[in-house]
Amino acid sequence: MSSAIRLEDVSRLYFVGDTVVRALDGITLSIEEGSFTAIVGPSGSGKSTLMSLIGCLDLPTSGRILIAGEDTSGMDEDELALLRNRHIGFVFQHFSLLPRMSALDNAALPLLYAGIPLRERRKRAAGMLERVGLGDRMDHRPSELSGGQKQRVAIARALINDPAIILADEPTGALDSATGHEVMDIFHGLNREGHTIVFVTHDNALASECSRMVRLSDGRVADAG
Amino acid sequence: MLGEDIRMALASMAGNRLRTFLSLLGIMIGVASVVAILNLGRSVTESISESFEIGGLDTVNVMPRGQARETMIFTEEFAYDLMEEIEGIREVLPTVSSMANVRKGQEISEGVQVQGVTSGYFPSNALELDEGAFFGPIDNINRRQVCVIGKELAEELFPAGDALGSYVSVFRNQAKSFLVIGILAERDESLGASYNSTLFMPYNTYVQRFRRTDQVGTYVVKVAEGYDATAVADDIEGYLDEIAGSDYYRLFSPATVKEMSDSVMSTFSMFLAAIAAISLVVGGIGIMNIMLVSVVERTGEIGIRKALGASPKAIRMQFLVESVTLSLSGGLIGLAAGTALSFAAVSLAGWSLHISLGAIAVSLLFSLFIGVFFGWYPAAKAARLQPMEALSRD
Repeated sequence: MSSAIRLEDVSRLYFVGDTVVRALDGITLSIEEGSFTAIVGPSGSGKSTLMSLIGCLDLPTSGRILIAGEDTSGMDEDELALLRNRHIGFVFQHFSLLPRMSALDNAALPLLYAGIPLRERRKRAAGMLERVGLGDRMDHRPSELSGGQKQRVAIARALINDPAIILADEPTGALDSATGHEVMDIFHGLNREGHTIVFVTHDNALASECSRMVRLSDGRVADAG
Repeated sequence: MLGEDIRMALASMAGNRLRTFLSLLGIMIGVASVVAILNLGRSVTESISESFEIGGLDTVNVMPRGQARETMIFTEEFAYDLMEEIEGIREVLPTVSSMANVRKGQEISEGVQVQGVTSGYFPSNALELDEGAFFGPIDNINRRQVCVIGKELAEELFPAGDALGSYVSVFRNQAKSFLVIGILAERDESLGASYNSTLFMPYNTYVQRFRRTDQVGTYVVKVAEGYDATAVADDIEGYLDEIAGSDYYRLFSPATVKEMSDSVMSTFSMFLAAIAAISLVVGGIGIMNIMLVSVVERTGEIGIRKALGASPKAIRMQFLVESVTLSLSGGLIGLAAGTALSFAAVSLAGWSLHISLGAIAVSLLFSLFIGVFFGWYPAAKAARLQPMEALSRD
């Protein structure tokens, strides 16, 4: 199996006044295609920084990141935007839906930036919402949905462009445990369909459901699983 | 993509109606005042023009004065000289006039304008009859003592309304009796004359009965079709300066006065509009302000959009479209308000409204420009946000 994501000696430093904070310190890591990887570690261990680097939302201070075999280090902002749009689906802890838009338009948003016409966008978003069991909630705004429903809209949005990689940052963190399990079931289903899933959590029980567990500590890989 | 951007812009404007309205107020007031001023300027100009047209824009009046009466240049024959010398003249109508008292029985009208004119004078000045007939060339040749009188004069002298076919006495040194053969239709006051209390008689009759010399009072010069009346007036002036000197005549041409008044009016309203346009700049700053607030408020949204694959260009476009949508809506509301305002003002003044197409074009283009100009910086700021920072600030 080839690597969906490959990090080579990646560091991310933050400069706060005179002090240098090493959020990530020389990480080398490969995540295989079709795997379901949990990234765990105490808060401040660099989990979120790692997630945003893999998601190309941030750039490393040094080192190389390859997504689906493509080196991202030389890319400009437009190329990174395109890469995120085509290859990566994000699921955030607090759903990050746009409040003024219906569930349907929220789920369809990545297609807008892929240049898909409106009719097609809505058709595909409707199909995706049906798949996550929200066929009867398409015209609802996020404020009219429960936490679990919101996260399912967010999952539909992450899947809409059929990305190879799904990055989930504490996707169950804001949900009760029953709803959290439902969401995890959806991720397991997606993994079985072949999506590569990277999943950040501090919940060891959930992490143990995954095929691999990477433990971070002080910006380094403590256990590559 | 543009359609989607406009949809998002409208949704965002509708999301906070009061704030949207307040931020648009500046540009609304600016556009409304520019439109109102330009519309009013045009309406005033048009209404002045209309009164000039009644006065005869194709007319140049030449009035001999002072010493010229002794130079003996301004005879009836001089009308032919003018037509020979100056290009673009259709006809020259010599007229003579003076004030006289006119009497019928016990009714006396004092200081009536009595004019001796040839029959061509009536159609040339667009005079129309209420009843009766105009006198013709034969009446002139035969020096018949007939007259056509204005409506007001007829009502004054003949309260019973039986003027037509009656005789009136005209006093100038001595009384002469004239048969009333026509009564003019009433006409609005204008920059020319209304002729409502004028008495017209054949030119030759007047000269024979009331004058010793064959000196002409006023030459009414009619400009031929296709010629510019102001240019013809200038030519006549040049010619008269040469043969008589500028002290010996007066020249009045409605077209020349209109040209001056048009140019003064348009300069004046452009000046006022320019002052009003300053408020458009203030309006633009209002839009920039609200867009900057909007970018800060929606940092999280920008982060999400970027995470989902929006390029900096797409974000910049979204916010630019939003600011242009804002300013254009303000412009459209201002356009409607300004038009309503000018309509109200014009109605009060009793003129008719003339919409200035230039004002519409200028105000909409200006709104567009303001939207782009004042939206550029906030949009660029939004586009530059780093996705991770934007997301974590949510």
